[in-house]
Amino acid sequence: MRDYFKTGITLMVITIIAALVLSVVYTIVEEPIANAELGAKLKAIREVLTDSDSGELLIDEESIPKTATELAKFEWFPEGFSASEGIIYNAESNQGKVESPAYKFVKEDGTEIFIAIGIAVGYGGDVKSMAAFVKEPDGIKLNGIKVLEYSQETPGLGANIANADVQKRFYPITKEGLDEGIKVDKDAGVTPVGDQIDVRKREDGIATVSDVMTGATITPRAVAFSLNAISEFLEKAGVR
Amino acid sequence: MMAESKFKILANGILKQNPTFIQVLGMCPTLATTTSAENGLGMGLATTAVLALSNITISLVRKFIPDKIRIPSYIVIIASFVTVIDMLMHGFIYDLWKTLGLFIPLIVVNCIILGRAEAFASKNNVFSSFLDGLGMGLGFTASLVLLGSVREFLGNGSIFSYHLSDVKMFAMILPPGAFMALGMLAAFFNYLGIRRSKAKKAEK
Repeated sequence: MRDYFKTGITLMVITIIAALVLSVVYTIVEEPIANAELGAKLKAIREVLTDSDSGELLIDEESIPKTATELAKFEWFPEGFSASEGIIYNAESNQGKVESPAYKFVKEDGTEIFIAIGIAVGYGGDVKSMAAFVKEPDGIKLNGIKVLEYSQETPGLGANIANADVQKRFYPITKEGLDEGIKVDKDAGVTPVGDQIDVRKREDGIATVSDVMTGATITPRAVAFSLNAISEFLEKAGVR
Repeated sequence: MMAESKFKILANGILKQNPTFIQVLGMCPTLATTTSAENGLGMGLATTAVLALSNITISLVRKFIPDKIRIPSYIVIIASFVTVIDMLMHGFIYDLWKTLGLFIPLIVVNCIILGRAEAFASKNNVFSSFLDGLGMGLGFTASLVLLGSVREFLGNGSIFSYHLSDVKMFAMILPPGAFMALGMLAAFFNYLGIRRSKAKKAEK
């Protein structure tokens, strides 16, 4: 009998100490973790707000949000949409979702810029991509993307989506390209080479990834699905 | 004499009892994380930290823990350290944490850690246990970096993302490549070991 008590109490003491240590560490790192996550998001917003052709910022340096409160000012909830469980829109094809909230920025000349985070299923889990769409007089165009979440993708294969060179294959895309729908070259059934890579991307929405990401199809396809989900969301919201 | 035996404990894990190639322990993270040298290094260092810390703690409490609940107690201690390391990396080295992703929680089920707790830390003093953890951890790190370098070089033509050749055999980055590279390296190290012991016999 004494033995059972001793065993039980020892286990209890160990778990209590472990819980105590973990709660102390969590209290210490809670703020740094939130800052790191926010920092990554703000950095991504800055990147997608950079003009993909000229390399200059689309809005003033001062207007770019630097804290959570500043970012909250740009949140955008179009009419007729409501967020549930952090998702504001589900694509009709069921192959992509849009995270809530979306953001709206306005350039000095009144041009509107929409930023949203799209989610689609990759090889091992969700792949999240942030994208900025600019509403120009002749239609809306995709200005830039940044893949935020790819931690479940195979290192050395799908996880290569993290490379900026790979992500560049997805933007910029003009109104015509967006109308066609964004797809990877394998799904489009063509393999553009040389200058055609850029032309087919802008005009037909074809992201050529087979040369920079050989062996991985599912991850870039997930990025394409998530971008299409955002594009569809903007269309339903009456922006496109 | 004393210093010599301490050094032996440290060197034991790195060479003679190398966790990966000689003891063939912790195969799951070894095969899964070595797609590149950098991933191998990150995983190895995180494991070393957990191994050294858990060895110290287990050695400290070894006299208070009844024999029957040894394993569950060790697992709680190890899992706590892994969670602490995971949270610290998330907060302070966000980029590396992002790269290693789901591999960090996997450290809990790495049998090297439980193995060393059971075989060494539960029977030896704190300092020796620390050295044993450090040695085994560094041995594990060295093996992962070596395996990761071989696979990255053959599969992607680079080592630590430094471009070296244009020959790319993608299979080496995929799971079959992990088994092939590990098998060949283990065969090579065992061959060296056998040759050395034969030479020693011949001397006698």
